[in-house]
Amino acid sequence: MKLSPLHQRHLDRNAKMADFGGWLMPIDYPDTGVLVEHAAVRERVGIFDVSHLGKASVKGKGALEFLNEQFTNDLTRIVDGQAQYTLLCNSSGGVIDDLIAYRKSPNDFFLIPNASNTADVVSALQSQAPADIQIVNLHDAFGVIALQGPLAAKVLEKFGIKTDLDYMCFSNVSINSHSAILCRTGYTGEFGFEIVPQWEEALQVWDALVAVVSEFEGAVCGLGARDTLRTEMGYPLHGHELSLEISPVQASATWAIGWKKGVFSGSEILRKEREDGPERRSQAMLCIGRGIPRAGMEIKDTDGKKVGIVTSGTFSPTLKNGISLGLVDSTFAVGDHLIIDVRGRDCEVEIVKLPFVASHVR
Amino acid sequence: MSHVPDDLKYTKEHEWIADTQIAQRVRMGITDFAQSALGDIVYVQLPNVGEKVTAGKVCGEVESTKSVSEIYAPVSGTIAAINDSLVGAPETLNSDPYGQGWLCEIVITEHSADLLSAQQYIEITA
Repeated sequence: MKLSPLHQRHLDRNAKMADFGGWLMPIDYPDTGVLVEHAAVRERVGIFDVSHLGKASVKGKGALEFLNEQFTNDLTRIVDGQAQYTLLCNSSGGVIDDLIAYRKSPNDFFLIPNASNTADVVSALQSQAPADIQIVNLHDAFGVIALQGPLAAKVLEKFGIKTDLDYMCFSNVSINSHSAILCRTGYTGEFGFEIVPQWEEALQVWDALVAVVSEFEGAVCGLGARDTLRTEMGYPLHGHELSLEISPVQASATWAIGWKKGVFSGSEILRKEREDGPERRSQAMLCIGRGIPRAGMEIKDTDGKKVGIVTSGTFSPTLKNGISLGLVDSTFAVGDHLIIDVRGRDCEVEIVKLPFVASHVR
Repeated sequence: MSHVPDDLKYTKEHEWIADTQIAQRVRMGITDFAQSALGDIVYVQLPNVGEKVTAGKVCGEVESTKSVSEIYAPVSGTIAAINDSLVGAPETLNSDPYGQGWLCEIVITEHSADLLSAQQYIEITA
């Protein structure tokens, strides 16, 4: 199992650790726990080690045009200094990964894919790249620290950092004289930043930030809280809402597809599926009955016929209620009631619009 | 170190049982070790009063944000009382697993041979 550059800090705090895509990462910390960590992000500020996330560079003349033929979203719709959520699909329209692409210049991009998919993303791009474009896997070259919550900017201002970046923009900053990329991105639905320091300097950056987070009565947060926070937003998690078997058209992730641009990997099949209409669609479901849906549980209509499957489910700490995301036959829509089979007990749910909890990313 | 009161009996599945004032009636719950391993408990499914339970068989569920854990009946008998307050305040299981966080009371029809002493339970969780 791979270890984060901040591993020792998680041990120092007696974190409960688990495997995330081949990396041993903290789920939660015993002094706080998922509920306190979750609330800290919604109400104040939380800091997460997400160094397991992948990092890769794509450099060379024509990198923009090359990546635009690979990724679903349209990189010509952002300018240098902006980042974009995008997908890499295979020729069948299955999703190899969802990732953030940072546009430094038309010839220089930085990618943050998911931990377990980074090698696949890098090799898929390498297999298609012309000779003058270099794709390098930098998984172990950088740490990634997420600083999320309404007080996130106040934390950075203590270091004299300008925090007036627009959403999905990034810049180079210095934190106690350690250089890092600062991005106005996140996976919690709150205002926040993701900070990318050099691997060797990640520990010093983390310690400095944690000290200020504590001053603001924020929390060090594990990936358990990250999951409840993202589920309340309905953000997809690869392997759950998106996968090689679940296309972006089914996953309601078409906002990350630049339909107007030309050909890209998987575009032919995805265009056809969009025209025909997908047979199943990702829906958000709020529990009316008592119960917590979990990934893999069966979804039935009110007559007991199987109509779908849960892809993610948890207890919403904000709503104090079971929430879930799932793939459901396309005949169902917002307002319809369904039943989730929670280990033999029927839990009634209503299809609702996302997010479950109001977003404050802007 | 998790807390293991001397005067209780335990199961390998991390439940505790205690005698009550009433003969043949025991109170049960989950141990400090169990609540700590689960993390923040957000949902409890209890059996119904009057329901018959069998030693070693599932009689309820406890869920944290991330995972589900089944509760096994430590003895065979009939459910005589349940701790309804846990439905609205499942976090009590984390804060007071041996006190306010009790799960249910059972009138015993058959004792289980497999109960552990505090010392034996400490050994399996060490």
